[in-house]
Amino acid sequence: MRELGERRQALLLAAPAAAALALVALWPLLAAAWLSLRHVLLVFGEDRFVGLANYAFLLRDARFWSALGNTVWFTGVAVGLELLLALPLALALQRSGALVRAAVLVPWVLPTVVAARLWSWLLDAELGLVNRLWPGPPVAWLGTPALALSAAILVDVWKTTPFVALILLAGLQAIPQDLLQAARVDGASPWRSFRAVTLPLLRPAILLALLFRSLDAFRVFDAVFVLTDGGPGHATETLSLYAFKTLLRAGSFGYGSALSVVTFLCVAALGLVWLRLLARRRGEALR
Amino acid sequence: MRPRTSALAALAALAVGFTACQRERPGGDGIRLVLRHQPLWGDPAPFRALLDGFERAHPGVTVDAQAIPNASDLAHQLLLTALEGGGGDLDVFVLDVIWTAEFARAGWLADLSGAFPPDRLREELLPGPVETAVQGGRTFAVPWYVDVGVLYWRTDLVPRPPRTYRELEAQARAAMARDPALRGFVWQGRQYEGLSCNAFEAIWGHGGEPLRDGRLVLDAPEARAALAWLRGLVTGGVSPPSVTTAAEEETRRLFQDGRAVFMRNWPYALALLEAPGSPVRGRVAIAPLPSVAGAPGPGALGGWHLGVRAGLAPARRAAAERLVAHLTSPEAALTLALAYGRNPARRALYDDPRLRAGAPAVAALAPHLARARPRPVTPYYGLVADALQGELSAAVAGVRPPGEALRRAQAQLDHLTGAR
Repeated sequence: MRELGERRQALLLAAPAAAALALVALWPLLAAAWLSLRHVLLVFGEDRFVGLANYAFLLRDARFWSALGNTVWFTGVAVGLELLLALPLALALQRSGALVRAAVLVPWVLPTVVAARLWSWLLDAELGLVNRLWPGPPVAWLGTPALALSAAILVDVWKTTPFVALILLAGLQAIPQDLLQAARVDGASPWRSFRAVTLPLLRPAILLALLFRSLDAFRVFDAVFVLTDGGPGHATETLSLYAFKTLLRAGSFGYGSALSVVTFLCVAALGLVWLRLLARRRGEALR
Repeated sequence: MRPRTSALAALAALAVGFTACQRERPGGDGIRLVLRHQPLWGDPAPFRALLDGFERAHPGVTVDAQAIPNASDLAHQLLLTALEGGGGDLDVFVLDVIWTAEFARAGWLADLSGAFPPDRLREELLPGPVETAVQGGRTFAVPWYVDVGVLYWRTDLVPRPPRTYRELEAQARAAMARDPALRGFVWQGRQYEGLSCNAFEAIWGHGGEPLRDGRLVLDAPEARAALAWLRGLVTGGVSPPSVTTAAEEETRRLFQDGRAVFMRNWPYALALLEAPGSPVRGRVAIAPLPSVAGAPGPGALGGWHLGVRAGLAPARRAAAERLVAHLTSPEAALTLALAYGRNPARRALYDDPRLRAGAPAVAALAPHLARARPRPVTPYYGLVADALQGELSAAVAGVRPPGEALRRAQAQLDHLTGAR
């Protein structure tokens, strides 16, 4: 009896927050889904229901598949690189003072637009510092389709590796020191103790970092927008950039909403996969 | 007790602060017109004097000039969301030449044919801008200032400006042979609207005409030849690979450093190139763009119009029309030319001795402006611009051969405009 009353009280107390969340997050989503079922062209005043026609076109749209491919590639490579670089960084930061930790955070603190602008000047084919130091003829970093996406990945990795390192650092500090001491006493080498003790206990932090970063990387917009605005021949166009251009440059709200809904579904699927993994790991750890 | 009162005091202070931040509404029956325009680089005093002159001549009307972003894309976005949303402080605003048809079709522009009859505009103003401002025999905007794509050439490296594309390449290669550090011809090849300007200029120079009977036809032999030529400049070494990421400022800096023989850009760059301290001061000149046949190639028309928002109350609308008339009057156009280097849209002004004396560079642009051709004037231009830029960039950067890029562009265009 008491529990029921407590539960009802808990629900009532949580209701305002849930309502706010529904208003801010759920309603725009439903509005976008509704718009995606219509053909809306702002300039021509067209607004009619077309059912799933937008989605049917989306499946045939070469530009959509290229954007999806770019986004998946970007997410995979960027997140993988960030994890590989952040792990040694976190291990090094464990022994550093607060000043070094703050200094390492500087790229993360810079607004993405500023960082991307910085890098676009560094990578400028004629006047950039990178080409100045590059041995050999100058390379058009942002003008060659193959290199432009790598440049965007570079900017993202440079900017968010400190963030991942921070999350991993928090995970490292949660590992009890006596476990590592016990491993040392048992004669384990540093690499062995890292692989057998640190890494398994760090898994939840790694999965959390992967969750955050892959969701963010999949929705990348500002870095690519500032660097190349979709790049030579749509070579660096990501899903969110394509949706933005369709919505606000062309004024085609129906198709743009369909793109946004598809992006949302992909991100939601990605998030669910990671959360499922995270829950399973936590379940295993408890057993 | 104390924390609670201090918290209440802070809240009260915030509330007072917010109410004080509200903009003051003009009292009484005065009309406050909001003019949204792009920043005019330079001394703000002459423009302010222009607006003050209007306010003095029309007591009871105040003009609130607000800036919008300089980049055409961003300005378009801002105006589109403000006009579509229905709200926004907006009475008189600037329009890029490429979106006037679009905004007119959307019904966001007031029909100004009463105050500015199309015939009078055709008589007094340059033909190119009028073509973009008059839709279906009705005036939807009044041309304010204009721009045209031109060829800059180094007078010390090249004996005379090239008339044909072959001549351009030959002269560039000759200069590059004498000085290997030079770039031949720099232009804007980044994926943005500037690339469309360059591409259309090349298409016109090759004898093509993309707009036929109101339909955009891109997949044509002249267009393929034009894109192949642009791509050939990069693969042949006449243009550096950096043109695929260059916008106006990148090419201007390169040319100003003396590292390029030819540059295609807008006339604004001349003032910077001739400024004291510029490495190429006194060694550059402007010429018309080349073409296949040798006749001067048409430059792309740029520039901005002034439009009045549709649906304003009659008194407000009359005041707005008078503001537009004031800002596009010959005296105002002269002020803009002398103080800010904006090329007027008025034909007669180019013969005015005051303009010749005060802004000779502007006066010298008259023949180029007379030849300026607008990009396809269609309400669909905004809709298709993005797809067009992508495929043009793909052709120029070598992602796809020009023929395939144009085919894909045509397919996307047809889908966007046909699926109505």
